[in-house]
Amino acid sequence: MLVPILVFAVTLCVFAIADAQLSDSENYLVQLIEQAQEKRLAELREWHLLLHYRKNLFGGYESEQDDPGFFLSPKGKADPAAELAATLAQFFSADLVGRSKQPAQCAFIARYHWLKEQLRFDPARLPPMACERFDRWYEDFDVQSISLIFPSAFLNNPASMFGHTLFRVDQKGQTEQTRILAYTINYAAEVPPDAGLAYPLLGIFGSYKGYFSTIPYYLKVREYRDIENRDIWEYRLRLTEFQLQRLLMHAWELGGNAYFDYFFFKENCSYHILALLDYADPTLHLTDEFIGWTVPADTIRLVVSKPGLVSDITYRPSRSTVIRRKRQALPAAERDLAHRMTQDIGVLSSSAFAQLGSAKQAFLLDLASDYLRYRVETTDDPKPEWKVRNRELLATRSQLRFPSEEFPVRPFAKQPELGHKTSRASIGGGWRNNDTFEEVTFRGGYHDLLDPEVGYTPDAQIEMASVTVRHYNRADQTRVERATLLNLLSLSPIDSVFHAPSWKLNVGMNTIRHHDCQLCSNGFFNGGIGGAKELRLLNREVLFAFAETEASVSKAYDEMHRIGGGGTVGILADMTERWKIMATGSYLKFPLGDKSDDFRWYVGSRFTLAQNWAVRLEYNHRDRDNDVLFSVQAYF
Amino acid sequence: MLKKVLLLAVAVLFGSQAGLAMAANPDTGPGCGLGKLAWSDYKGQKEIAPQVLMVTTNGTGMNTFAISSGTSGCTNDGKIMSEHKTTMFASLNFDALTAEMAQGQGEHLASLATLMGVPAERHAEFFAMTQERYTSLVQAGETSPVALVKSLNNAIAGHPVLAQASVR
Repeated sequence: MLVPILVFAVTLCVFAIADAQLSDSENYLVQLIEQAQEKRLAELREWHLLLHYRKNLFGGYESEQDDPGFFLSPKGKADPAAELAATLAQFFSADLVGRSKQPAQCAFIARYHWLKEQLRFDPARLPPMACERFDRWYEDFDVQSISLIFPSAFLNNPASMFGHTLFRVDQKGQTEQTRILAYTINYAAEVPPDAGLAYPLLGIFGSYKGYFSTIPYYLKVREYRDIENRDIWEYRLRLTEFQLQRLLMHAWELGGNAYFDYFFFKENCSYHILALLDYADPTLHLTDEFIGWTVPADTIRLVVSKPGLVSDITYRPSRSTVIRRKRQALPAAERDLAHRMTQDIGVLSSSAFAQLGSAKQAFLLDLASDYLRYRVETTDDPKPEWKVRNRELLATRSQLRFPSEEFPVRPFAKQPELGHKTSRASIGGGWRNNDTFEEVTFRGGYHDLLDPEVGYTPDAQIEMASVTVRHYNRADQTRVERATLLNLLSLSPIDSVFHAPSWKLNVGMNTIRHHDCQLCSNGFFNGGIGGAKELRLLNREVLFAFAETEASVSKAYDEMHRIGGGGTVGILADMTERWKIMATGSYLKFPLGDKSDDFRWYVGSRFTLAQNWAVRLEYNHRDRDNDVLFSVQAYF
Repeated sequence: MLKKVLLLAVAVLFGSQAGLAMAANPDTGPGCGLGKLAWSDYKGQKEIAPQVLMVTTNGTGMNTFAISSGTSGCTNDGKIMSEHKTTMFASLNFDALTAEMAQGQGEHLASLATLMGVPAERHAEFFAMTQERYTSLVQAGETSPVALVKSLNNAIAGHPVLAQASVR
């Protein structure tokens, strides 16, 4: 009988103590919340950065973050104060929260440290918890500094058309030779394997979730430099130790507990990378600059424009750039010899090879090996003999017992921040047939073949969301003259080593003269595939030819449409550093719908006035229709 | 062409699924999924490109290199466990490493040397040693990354200068 009573008494005691503790915690929590209210912490920029709150149209707040587990209050997504109170409450508990399943103090370690600093937590009343997982993760970075990494644009993959940005966490004691061992902080959309053709579309409208991860830099280098052949620019940032800590703590919160609906144009990799930097140093105000869309090159431009933020810039050439530069450095006979080595290993025992000095032999062997690896990694179905031949070349190379000399590679395109800004407005005027006109154009993005080429992937064009309004004086008519939904063009000069096709795709509308209609709107789709060849007659010229197909809809046509095909030849030439011209001629025949054919030609000439200013003179001819346009263009 | 581009993207994504299925190839890599995945390539079974893309650009890689509640293969909260660092590096960069061993220098080789505890001022000797033993090292490497690292360790141990200088 005594035992149960004792048990009851003890249980009572335990409850009483627990109750007392609970109420002490509760008291302290109430006190902290009051303090936070007094200090208006929920209204501070740093709290908004930590929770990714943005002011919405109605003056309230909404977080861009979309994982419910990221908020500790059910109202957290839209209520900064409720979230702050709930966060403080959760700091007293060891319960596991968030996707990463940790106590709140560890899962949201940046919030914890910021609030602790603001409210001077009493360690006796709110004891700090050990966060071994975070500590291990943090120490493994061995962080010395952070670099912003920009793999340049890659037109042949819709997701990388504008380039990408990520962070590299540079390690203490890291050298130029060992920086590939550093981890990155990378933000990317998680795309299901069966996404297929819906991928680009769903990516634009936020149907995928974006997550942070810490992929080793050597894998990213392999992906960008070796497989996709994109040059990489590395910008070392000057951050204090405290800022580095804040950045990594917030990266831990996001990596473990957050996802964001991925919007290809705005809330993309570059946007969220900037958000991390904003929290590291809230005075930077980086993400605030991006409202409609976030172009990676623009984010680089912004970061570089902040005084003292970038300490140095490093260029990492893609494998194809290395091959091109090495080939340029060789006389034709040796270039040819290196190329024959990739086709027939017997060349190694030829007298032409034997008579070369050993340093030159090594150079040619290395180039041949670069090229075979390039082929293996860029071909869908590589031939097994390429690998075998590469091994044989390398075995021969290893017999020359000295290290290959460093080969400095100059980029073909300068770094992105030196290029023009990505939106463009132009005003112009000219003649069309027997009328004169003035026009204004706005182009959302990004770069066309005649825009100043500095800082952009050479010979690649992406135009999006462009519209031109023109007023004809004699006809006294104001109309939408041209509009572009998407106009892509990629020229890949072919030589004995590089064989990629050139291609183009253009969807939009223009104004045509056809049959009896003088000014008729014409919607069109044009797609083509072809080849390009680089010459160096004057400076640099690219010749190109396309076979193409076109479908158009206009009330000017019989049966309202015409469908056909044909070809285009053209030249794009750098006359001087500032002056570029392009000329094209096309013939298209339309056997379907309005049976007709078209002979078109175009000559355009651009002169760069300044980084963000250019002028153009263009002449367009289509079947009995002549159009001369002079325009001034500003990039912003 | 865009269609081709898109199809290519799809091929890469489907290819990565095929890659996953191929991973069940025993005794070819370190004791964790990722290395095995990449390694199976060197038997000529599967191109590495889609696999690396898979690792880095879609879901699988995110789990591997993300902070998650459990460990996945050779990583823990997105970080490669220290006991796998060297073999995983050797495995995922085998192509670059073979080229650089033959060429007597390079960042992958320098990084491998660092992971193996060879101090920077002894890298030149390490490079010369790998160039000299190129054929046997590549042969070892073709069986498995573990064998490559083992051969390198043996070579370091038998090297008059490197054996003294190396941390491990």
